[in-house]
Amino acid sequence: MGEDKTTQLPRRMTRSSASSSASTSNNVAAAKVTCLEPLTINDLLVGGDPISLNDIISSFPGRSSQILEVVRHLGPLNSPILPLFVYGSSSTGKTSIILQLFRHLNRPIVYSSCRTCYNQNILFESILNQLLLHRKNAANGYSNAKRCERPSDFVNFLREALTNVINNLKKSEKLISNEMTQGKIGNMIYLVFDNFQLVREWDKSSTILPLLFNLYDLLNMPEVGLIFISSTSPDTFYSNMGYVEPIPIYFPDYTEEDIRQILLRNQVNQKLYSSFLDVSLKSFCGITKQIDHLSAALKPLYEKYCEPLSDKGKGVAPNQEMKRRLLAHINPHIASSLNEIFKVSSLSSTEVEIRKEEKRKGNNRRLEQSEELGSLDFHVSTSAKYLLISAFLASRNPATLDASLFDSKGGSDNRKRKRKPSEKAQERKETLEQELLMKGPGTFPLERLLAIFQCLVSVAEEPSDEQEQNNDGLGVEGGNGGLMSDVLLQLSSLCNANFIFKGRSCPIEGSMRYRTTISEDLALKVARSLKFPLSKYLYRS
Amino acid sequence: MEQENHKIKAVSLLRSRICDPKFIFISESPESNYSKLKFMISSSVTEACNNSILLLGPRGSGKNAVLELVIQDLLQEYPDSVSVIRLNGLLHSDDISAFKEIARQLCMEHQLLFSKAASFDDNSQFMVAILKECGLAHKTVIFVLDEFHLFAQGKQRLLYSLLDAMQSITSQAVVLGISCRLDADQLLEKRVRSRFSHRKLLFLPPSIEDSQKLLMHILTLPIDSSFPHAYAVEFNRKVQNIIEDRRFKETLNKYLNVDSSVKHLLRFLFCAVSHMDLQTGFLSRENFEIAFTSIQRQPKLECLRNCSILELQILVCMKRLEVKEQSLCNFNSVMKEYISTLTSERYARHVCLRAFEHLIHRELICFTDNRGQSLSVEFRPVKLLISSAELHQGLRANTSCPPKLLKLMDREG
Repeated sequence: MGEDKTTQLPRRMTRSSASSSASTSNNVAAAKVTCLEPLTINDLLVGGDPISLNDIISSFPGRSSQILEVVRHLGPLNSPILPLFVYGSSSTGKTSIILQLFRHLNRPIVYSSCRTCYNQNILFESILNQLLLHRKNAANGYSNAKRCERPSDFVNFLREALTNVINNLKKSEKLISNEMTQGKIGNMIYLVFDNFQLVREWDKSSTILPLLFNLYDLLNMPEVGLIFISSTSPDTFYSNMGYVEPIPIYFPDYTEEDIRQILLRNQVNQKLYSSFLDVSLKSFCGITKQIDHLSAALKPLYEKYCEPLSDKGKGVAPNQEMKRRLLAHINPHIASSLNEIFKVSSLSSTEVEIRKEEKRKGNNRRLEQSEELGSLDFHVSTSAKYLLISAFLASRNPATLDASLFDSKGGSDNRKRKRKPSEKAQERKETLEQELLMKGPGTFPLERLLAIFQCLVSVAEEPSDEQEQNNDGLGVEGGNGGLMSDVLLQLSSLCNANFIFKGRSCPIEGSMRYRTTISEDLALKVARSLKFPLSKYLYRS
Repeated sequence: MEQENHKIKAVSLLRSRICDPKFIFISESPESNYSKLKFMISSSVTEACNNSILLLGPRGSGKNAVLELVIQDLLQEYPDSVSVIRLNGLLHSDDISAFKEIARQLCMEHQLLFSKAASFDDNSQFMVAILKECGLAHKTVIFVLDEFHLFAQGKQRLLYSLLDAMQSITSQAVVLGISCRLDADQLLEKRVRSRFSHRKLLFLPPSIEDSQKLLMHILTLPIDSSFPHAYAVEFNRKVQNIIEDRRFKETLNKYLNVDSSVKHLLRFLFCAVSHMDLQTGFLSRENFEIAFTSIQRQPKLECLRNCSILELQILVCMKRLEVKEQSLCNFNSVMKEYISTLTSERYARHVCLRAFEHLIHRELICFTDNRGQSLSVEFRPVKLLISSAELHQGLRANTSCPPKLLKLMDREG
């Protein structure tokens, strides 16, 4: 199903990509790129070879009732339609099925995605460009057919363009009926708004949403049908003034059996993959039912499942003994793979291959692997590392403990920890822990950060002083204060990298307040790379 | 082929009627809003005076449709004495767009050349001049202001200019405001309200008897040459039986108890007609039952039925925190509850975080702070958007929900 979606959408959404793909095939088409033929009414059709309803139903397992429901609501040819609201979670086949149905019915549509048309103006221009059969190219300076910024201009242009298209459809219908050529396309035209839930976050969503929902009444044209496709339900489109509700058509998530049918498609060895799903699908469906997540998670696990086989699962049908052997082989990996399900690998594909080679060499690489896990994924200067640790401590520790934690000796005294905590101290500890859990890292002023930073740096530079004393002959100078250079510049770099956030200025103190969001694990990694005793400075009561 | 055509034709005819407001709202009764409105506007036209009327009623009650019928009749009775200017608050709520649109429509009505480059002052002065000329020519200009409450936002310059121009002795104009807010006239400023005559027409939903008459009006086929006579007679007899059926009346009352406006009823009929069996060519009571089920949606319950086990576990943990009088919680506190509550089959933290984000996308939970950018997802406060009853119902409806989780929820409830 994913392949259908990827191949279908670019041809429908951007005609330039379709023409560019055509131009790569041969030079004759490349010569035509500069003088493409003007668009016609037929370009409003989805295109492609005619497809039957049974083909669509078999292409989308588990969706036959939704497909039939959409067909019934679209109705016979030239039949008016109330606005439809097609909704369901991500990856439930809403967009693909709508487009395939219009391909089957051979009716003109104007498709706009509110993800690519990410604001009001672009949406208006996209719709008008399609209706006016306008293609942006070098000849017209890549300009739109109409420039309209106000909704009133858009509705006037839209009504005019729709009237022209509908009149042309009626004329062509007469010609077609005389010639008795292909199936009729009728004189209805449908406006499809995809990813409609994104409009809620637009700047002018309070005016654009009522406009689009009321577009049916504003236009008052029975030949125009409206279809909204959204991944959230109608109740999430809050409006304090109300609107006339479109007719809801719901696409539920796939059941486990549907997911099995979908994943089995395009598999070379159906029986082997089916036995693989027997042992793995139920566990993974407990975490998520989204097809794209499951497909990505099960792919590497299936490769591991096929490792004992000589031909890597190409042609052999598994028997019972082989199934048991494969099950014993894959069982240890299922639990760890479950926890990898949403992890996006930061390695490139070539590095993944190299890592596979390393894994095959055996146990010698385990130590290196564990060491790799502990290392940092990024590189910053030593000064920035100290600054990051200072920011972490400033966020996590109460400010009242600065005097005792950051004295000249460094670290808290060990003797203080030997006292037994009293009941009140225990309650205060729990309250503080709860507060930390709820509120997250606290904010701190710049002065506090610089004071902590200076204290940590002065502690860190003491060993270098000792080394300097030992090396009598060298007499190196400039070591002191080296880490302190450009501290404000380092701070702004860390802010730009989103390690530290600059908050709003406090109206009383009149200075910026900062907050760090790095986790404790990351702070420990940074401290370990500096050989800094972070745990001594952390307040744990 | 011929047999197939008239069945499809029947569906198309019924759907066309449902989508046509002019077919729905015809009523010749003297007490109807149609008659009252027509009388008011006709009096203004014949007596050469100004008038302003507010049409108030809930959405879907036919305010616009009745007005269009009245205007249509008036244009037939007084073809040379009436011109209509239509504005909509969704499009023309800012004054520049409004005056520009008035000028554009006035130019179209009077075969004048419209200049897009005209300024705000040009357009407003043009409107005043045209009103004066129309008054001298004994022509009434009807202004239809749909979504009237949206024109009442801001400085209300359009309303003031329009109503002020009508104070002139020579002008003849009728301003019709259409709004779903009963307090639409309270939104006007004093200077505008003093110029507005406080005539109101209330549009109420139809009664049960009127709804049944409307059903017969929409769903019966004409007994003429357009359909085979035997088919049309049988079709209408079946429709009559359906409407008089007790179970159908129960379904219809259940549906209209939620919203008894006409538009709401039309949606129901549209779904039922769309599900008509094209093999038999007749409507059945099952079509209306299917329509009732498909329109009456419970989105939160649908979301819960779709959730994975991990997502349900997170929701139950949040419900437990809610029961413990914790007004706010975030991902960290939910994870703490998750670790302490579920002793077996726990997932990694980042897997739970992604499931947590899926719940936010499904809008079963939401952030309570407004667009806090500095805090990461784990620390932003969240709250549940479903009630305990909905969560109970969702857990039972979810086919893959483990019984242990249901028991855990029952203990909390």
